[in-house]
Amino acid sequence: MIRVAAVGDIHMGPESKGALRPAFESLPECADVLLLAGDLTRHGTTEEARVVAQEVQDLGVPVVAVLGNHDHHDERPDEVAAVLEDSGTRVLEGRGTVLGVGDIRVGVAGTKGFGGGFVGRSAGEFGELLMKEFVRCSRRCADALRRALEELDGQGCDVRIALTHYSPVPETLAGEPLEIYPFLGSYLLAEAIDTAGADLAVHGHAHAGTEHGMTSGGVKVRNVAQPVIGQAFRVYHLPVREPLPAGASGPAPD
Amino acid sequence: MSNHGAGQAHAGAPAAGSAGSAGNAENTEYRVAHLIEHLAAGHLGELGVRVEVRGESVQLTGTVASAQCREEILGMVREELAGVPVHSDILVAENSAPGHAEELS
Repeated sequence: MIRVAAVGDIHMGPESKGALRPAFESLPECADVLLLAGDLTRHGTTEEARVVAQEVQDLGVPVVAVLGNHDHHDERPDEVAAVLEDSGTRVLEGRGTVLGVGDIRVGVAGTKGFGGGFVGRSAGEFGELLMKEFVRCSRRCADALRRALEELDGQGCDVRIALTHYSPVPETLAGEPLEIYPFLGSYLLAEAIDTAGADLAVHGHAHAGTEHGMTSGGVKVRNVAQPVIGQAFRVYHLPVREPLPAGASGPAPD
Repeated sequence: MSNHGAGQAHAGAPAAGSAGSAGNAENTEYRVAHLIEHLAAGHLGELGVRVEVRGESVQLTGTVASAQCREEILGMVREELAGVPVHSDILVAENSAPGHAEELS
């Protein structure tokens, strides 16, 4: 079993400096890794990123993050990511990272993701250039997430987690107005997760959403936006599957 | 606040004849729409607060990162919706550590 702490949408700025640090300092007692599901800043400035960096620096557990739409607002996401990386946080966009937790290899694949909507109610790659680019952006994020998860599988990870800002499923958006679902996530992310396989998917973005959901392929999804979880972070105890003996094809169907 | 004028322009639009009350209701709607745009695109960068017209008044709901953030939002709301009764249920995010974990199977 590994212990995964996660939170998104902490929206930090100079005015909230230090607010999460006391809770984060308890992480080594209750978690093996902290995942940050984007919207770490209010406007995506490097000044705000430095506040986040100080908040999560030297916590005693590895910190893995994706950026959110707020972290792009000042149009310098690479600089925001660099500030966080300098503090020891691994910032993922279309790639994965492998963490060692004892003997367990934990793979985290991350992308901000993007919108577009869900099956039967989604935007299509058609019409105006801007509309096509909107959908293509979402598709690029999802494709990169799938490749990253597949690479983690190839690297022998015992547990794989998909970390996004936008939601892969509509269930965790329950509570948000239906009309804005296409701006909150995309089924392309869920399809990527189900195609490559994962043990858990974690996202943020939907402040008025719901914590629990699942992809149609059976992967558990958790919305950890701080307004949803109502705490500094959530902790999930994730079982580690025993490796199958050579030649075995898995449990027989019921 | 550079966006203030845009929000107030609609407040000053005269309503005529029997369309007066409908015009006023529409007016509040547009003022709220502009407020939502300004909360998001202005210096506050706030997309997590819901602003909804409730009869003659406006209700604010959502959770923000700090008390200062909430005060800034309420300041913008008071300025842009001057004359409209506003009920605020904006909460500040809870920063305590969780007491237990969820066991995933």
